Amino acid sequence: MAPPEGADAPAAPKADPKPSDPPSESIVASRTNKQPPAETLESLWVRRWVILSFWAVVACLGLPMWWKTTAIYRADLPLQDMTDWADGKICRPVFPLRIAVEASPQVQDAHRLIRTTQHALDDLNEFSAHHLRLILADLPLPANASQQAIIDGTSSTGDDQDIALSVRLIPVETGETPRSHLQPYAPTLDVYYSPNQIPSASSTASPLATFVAHELHKIFADEQARLSYLLSASSSGHATKWKALSAETAAELQRQSTRVLKYAPTYHLTFSLFTPTSVPSAWDIEPALRQYLTPLLESFATISNFTIDTQVQLYATFSPSIRQPEYDEDLKAWTLRKEDLSGFINAAEWPLSPSIGEGPTVNFALYVPEQSQSPLLVKENGASSWLVPQWGGVAILNPTSSAAIPKALAKEALVPAMQTFSNQLISLLGLPQTPASLPLRLSTLTRVRAASLIFSASSTLGALAQVYQKMPSIPVPDSVAKSVDLTLGHLQQACDHFRDGRFQGALEHARIAEAQAEKAFFERSMVGQVYFPDEHKVAVYLPLLGPVAVPLVMAALKEIKSGIATLRRR
Amino acid sequence: MLSFLPVLLLNAFLACVCASSDYHERLLLRPLPQSTLLASFNFRSNESSTAIEQQNFRYFPRSFAQILEHAHTKELHLRFSVGRWDAESWGQRPWYGAREGGTGVELWAWIEAQNEEEAFSRWLTLVNSLSGLFCASLNFIDATKTVRPVMSFDPEGDHTNSSNLHLLHGNLPHEVVCTENLTPFLKLLPCKGKAGISSLLDGHKLFDASFQTMAVDVRPVCDSNDGGCSLQMEQSVDMVLDIARSKRPRDNPIPRALPIGEIECDTSKPYDAEDTCYPLDKKVEPAWKLTELFGRPLKGACPLTEEMGDEGESLCINTPPEREIQVNTTGQYSEARTALDTLRCYKLPVGADFDLVLPEQKMTTGLVRAQPQLFAARSVNGHGQERGSVQAVIRNPSKDAVEFVYLESLPWFMKPYLHTLRAHVDSLTENPVKETYYRPAVDRQRGTHLELRMIIPAASTLILTYDFEKAILRYTEYPPDANRGFDAPPAVIRILSPYLSTDKKGIYLRTTPLLLPLPTPDFSMPYNVIILTSTVMALGFGNIFNLLVRRFVGMDEVSALGAGGIKGILAAKLGRLKALLGKA
Repeated sequence: MAPPEGADAPAAPKADPKPSDPPSESIVASRTNKQPPAETLESLWVRRWVILSFWAVVACLGLPMWWKTTAIYRADLPLQDMTDWADGKICRPVFPLRIAVEASPQVQDAHRLIRTTQHALDDLNEFSAHHLRLILADLPLPANASQQAIIDGTSSTGDDQDIALSVRLIPVETGETPRSHLQPYAPTLDVYYSPNQIPSASSTASPLATFVAHELHKIFADEQARLSYLLSASSSGHATKWKALSAETAAELQRQSTRVLKYAPTYHLTFSLFTPTSVPSAWDIEPALRQYLTPLLESFATISNFTIDTQVQLYATFSPSIRQPEYDEDLKAWTLRKEDLSGFINAAEWPLSPSIGEGPTVNFALYVPEQSQSPLLVKENGASSWLVPQWGGVAILNPTSSAAIPKALAKEALVPAMQTFSNQLISLLGLPQTPASLPLRLSTLTRVRAASLIFSASSTLGALAQVYQKMPSIPVPDSVAKSVDLTLGHLQQACDHFRDGRFQGALEHARIAEAQAEKAFFERSMVGQVYFPDEHKVAVYLPLLGPVAVPLVMAALKEIKSGIATLRRR
Repeated sequence: MLSFLPVLLLNAFLACVCASSDYHERLLLRPLPQSTLLASFNFRSNESSTAIEQQNFRYFPRSFAQILEHAHTKELHLRFSVGRWDAESWGQRPWYGAREGGTGVELWAWIEAQNEEEAFSRWLTLVNSLSGLFCASLNFIDATKTVRPVMSFDPEGDHTNSSNLHLLHGNLPHEVVCTENLTPFLKLLPCKGKAGISSLLDGHKLFDASFQTMAVDVRPVCDSNDGGCSLQMEQSVDMVLDIARSKRPRDNPIPRALPIGEIECDTSKPYDAEDTCYPLDKKVEPAWKLTELFGRPLKGACPLTEEMGDEGESLCINTPPEREIQVNTTGQYSEARTALDTLRCYKLPVGADFDLVLPEQKMTTGLVRAQPQLFAARSVNGHGQERGSVQAVIRNPSKDAVEFVYLESLPWFMKPYLHTLRAHVDSLTENPVKETYYRPAVDRQRGTHLELRMIIPAASTLILTYDFEKAILRYTEYPPDANRGFDAPPAVIRILSPYLSTDKKGIYLRTTPLLLPLPTPDFSMPYNVIILTSTVMALGFGNIFNLLVRRFVGMDEVSALGAGGIKGILAAKLGRLKALLGKA
């Protein structure tokens, strides 16, 4: 690249005056050598412009293009809303329960009675979010109301969905008054009173009003405990506002909530008969299920749907990880250790794979031990059945007589197992044990489930927002943003329904919100990119970027240096 | 689900009398030439259709039934095979080819759907679910590996409305069938390999056999008398064991020569001497025991077959009547002889081991082995990376003309030229192809589907050839071991006449799969391209950039500016050192 000799000819005037000196020493030599002509200002600026324009192209065109073409798409998410929902700032669930009071026309001062009862009730209530509001039923009841209402529990109220409980005031002449009766298969509380217990116009308190208030409070005490536990567990922000639960209640609720299956609109129930030998190889499961389980499942129909399948599995051996049963002389039975119960289900060999289709599978395993190893019991407490949290239940069917195990199990033999399975299913679904009325328990379950769905959807949203912020390298497709929008919309609607006391509607919306939140959080295309960090991007392009960057950077540095030097000289 | 339960229950009372559930199993042993033994296991379970609808499973495996229901599959046939059936020496296939698959995995099913798209989406559901159930790569059966045969398959079951049933057929010739497929196969059986003839099935021996095939067939069966329907599942395993090889104990599997004193020598050989010995071919049937051959004992009968009466005979052996057979068991068993004493069947004891012992015996009589109606062989001809040709040789040894359907489903990257298709019979001048059904391939979307109905005259050979072109795949489409070649599935041949089978199963044979070498690129190429291109670009850029920004001065003026860079620094240091040294 050296310019030809002739090029420096015009530079002669600037040459050293003593060019003939021999270059004996290098320091001297440099002084004595011919000097290049001074660079014109124009060429200096041309060079600077060239470097600057290269840098401009790189910075304004190259880098943005590279950045744009290798960037990953991240849809915009309403992060603030999502975090607010997770922190419980947007929706404070309230549970205004409407309680219809049906008073016979004789009660003139029904309004006043309701007012006083409401006062008494408000005084009793410590849990502000859960509020019982008494209203007067519109329809005047015929005289023989008690008989009719038992036949048709929904006759008294217009839209029964919104009414949590009906209180019927029935005047009686005989018996202890006031007394109450909660109907087991209808959301109705019958209160019997004697006419003289009606509060008079002047008094502010009456024994009837206090009695009704206490009864109502008692009925909903369990639900209040559950809801307040749920609220305190779900977010720390709420905890201080609610009444403190006693330690035992909290522990009990904690225990129950760990068992309960995650909510799903459909559950698959699988009933399996396991036996280590070849008998029994058949069971009369169809009529047994029809008699003992179908009524229970029908009552759950408003909350979830169920599908049922059954199977018989012979030669089902214990898993090798647990100890074989030992004979216990005191119990006169073969015993399993309590710590081995978790390994009782031989997951590797027993075909308990989940059913195909949406929704979780709940397994109920009936184990018929070998003739030589029966009866088989749990060592510590002599029990023959146990519940596996969030999975299902196991029951051991020990033969009642010493006769050989029959080839087919009759329906009668399955009765204890079916009852066990029903109880296990109730526990797994989280149905509370009190109060005595089944519709009330179911509506409690609706409220608890809806609230817990709202909380879990909100916390999923919060987690998604955190992931979005903390992992800038994961792609976020538009479908996630859409799901998040849907979730937010349905959460808001669920919250509104709650405020209006329409709990069934709240459950519907909470259900959709939860499903959409899960869908957004577990979007598959968000995961792949995590394993392809930004470093890789640079590494692939380094063979190009390196050699190109070196002359650019060096030229820029040199020019800046010389620029500074020129400035200093001035 | 719950709402229609009562209706179903009513049906149950009506139907439970007629539609029966039962289970049946049978093992047929048949010695073949060259001291091999064919073992055909067959397991059949019926479940009444009402029980299936209510999802109460007793004999039918629950997971399998749920897959069928989910994918709306009415009839299903699944095959896992390894090895080649040597028809020349072994004769007719054990089930006339109806239960034996081509090498690899083969699946065909009748799926209920309104239209083809729906049928295909259900087919994908089916293959994905089965893939999980059988631990096989069935999920790789996609549109390119699926064909819809027209003439080759007929439903075996009784279907009430066959108008919206769609037949789909998929093939994975490359799939290696292994123990992990046998374990789920055994789990589907009610006795699970713990009792009954399935207790003989051991992965080590099964996959060491010269030929083995596992089949699962599900079909609805209706009784024509009372109209009761049931879903029948048939599982079968057929294996050809080399007796000498199977008898080797597992802890000492390498065959070793006997001491020379223990070998009987062929003294007729000229080189026979004290120290040289040619082992005498005794022409005897070798001795074997069940326990020895299968490596584990037969653990009695599966108790579920007890109720079957005569059908409860679950072990049969097909030998000449003179063959000596000893039974070794502690339990109660019974023996029955049928078919001129050539078939001996045993009712196995429950809960006691059972063993058959056959001593070494010189035979004077033998059994007549049925010969197959057709022999078929197929191969790839030609060389080079671009084109090739396929030749199928189909031989008819019988005295009747045989009509058959030839089904070829080729991968899309193997593109046949249909105009080069030639079917030629030596003794015949007219074209033996009577009917052609052809669906050309679409790149990356579907494979070629070619079905030919042909007639081959008595005692003649048909040669079918066609040329094809090999496509060049995209870089990412190559499998991990691309240089091994690509497999083309076996051709399926269905014999239409003159042999009509009575039970709708049909008579089939399958050729071996083809190994097709495709041009493979150098897989490190993209990285080389990146590096090379980058270097060239960087060189060009550097030159232009330097030309633009460098200041050019005369050679003799360089030192005046002071050399820059490392060289300048070094020169300066060196100069200073020299000056120091000079002073000192």
